[in-house]
Amino acid sequence: MAGGFSLWLFAVSMAASALGGMLGMAGGIFIVPILTIFGHIEIHTAIGASIISVIACSCGGAAPFLKNRLTNIRLAIVLEIATTTGALTGVVLAGILPVSYLYFIFAAILFISAHQMLARRRAPVLASALSDASHSSDALGLNSSYPDRELGREVTYRVDRVALGMVFMYGAGLISALLGIGSGVLKIPAMDTAMRLPIKVSSATSNFMIGVTAAASAAIYFMRGGIVTEVAGPVAFGSVLGAIVGARMLLIVSNDKLRLLFVVILVVLGVQMLLIVFGVHLIEGSL
Amino acid sequence: MNTAGRLEKMLAALLRYGSWSASAAIGLGYALALIGSHSPARNLAVLPNIRIARVGIVLFILLPILRVLLMFLFFVRERDFRFAFISGMVLAIILLGIFLGVPAT
Repeated sequence: MAGGFSLWLFAVSMAASALGGMLGMAGGIFIVPILTIFGHIEIHTAIGASIISVIACSCGGAAPFLKNRLTNIRLAIVLEIATTTGALTGVVLAGILPVSYLYFIFAAILFISAHQMLARRRAPVLASALSDASHSSDALGLNSSYPDRELGREVTYRVDRVALGMVFMYGAGLISALLGIGSGVLKIPAMDTAMRLPIKVSSATSNFMIGVTAAASAAIYFMRGGIVTEVAGPVAFGSVLGAIVGARMLLIVSNDKLRLLFVVILVVLGVQMLLIVFGVHLIEGSL
Repeated sequence: MNTAGRLEKMLAALLRYGSWSASAAIGLGYALALIGSHSPARNLAVLPNIRIARVGIVLFILLPILRVLLMFLFFVRERDFRFAFISGMVLAIILLGIFLGVPAT
């Protein structure tokens, strides 16, 4: 493969990941649309490359969360039963569904992400008086605490409705494998709303789970020869560097303008993904 | 909860050094490939370098699976058999997927 194309893949992945990192989310959702729309890469190859970059960003970013005790590892491993099962379902579906359906579902996820980005995340109502003992999470010892720097004290929290959370996680795992994304877009509401976790805990735990979820499908795609090194290599490397750059820029750039830019890009890519289903190319790649 | 802190430190170390190694392999493979593409014996030079990058990709796929294995072993050692069972189940689902998911062609 030509060196120029590798560099292009590297550059766009780095930009996507840096942009995502600036808002504290993974840029994986941009990778597949960019590779298919501008790079004219076949969608399954793009998904295979994207899923590797999703693993890379999850593993690469996990250490600080773990060291600050924000990640609830016990909750993560319980929910991973659901996300990995969902991932296997997603792999099966990816083999069956026609390509046009993939574009369609991807467009829908882009629109949902745009909507979520506009709505912002609100702190869930913490109903966590730990006195209430009749919960399944207590039996598993999932309730925990984390050190909150802003409050300057240890915050204890309870994990609610694990069963409902597992249902959401199954869906998140399925979408992750089907589209090659981290699907934080489905994990975060499940953890914020259904399980009522503190925002910092749900972000850290979601990031931690994404790697295992993605590895479940990536391993199968790899064994089937669905992961093309010439595409996946530069994309993964670019994403890792982009995530580092993005985290640094998080403090410099105005959050609101960035958020709006993010929404616009998501909507434009979503519209173009939809149009591809009908054979229309509004924005055309230069490569 | 001293034990939980230990597991967190081990996981952080595994994921951090694992990501570094995998990224380094991919970066090295591509750096060599780019240098090689300017040399006259171009096609001969590119293939082994791509193989180095492929090792990096395999490392990235293995890393989360090793993470679950580490948790499994930790819970077994701590005699926390409920969580050993849960981690074992996640491992089993991933391995099952690999064995059933690959068509026998």
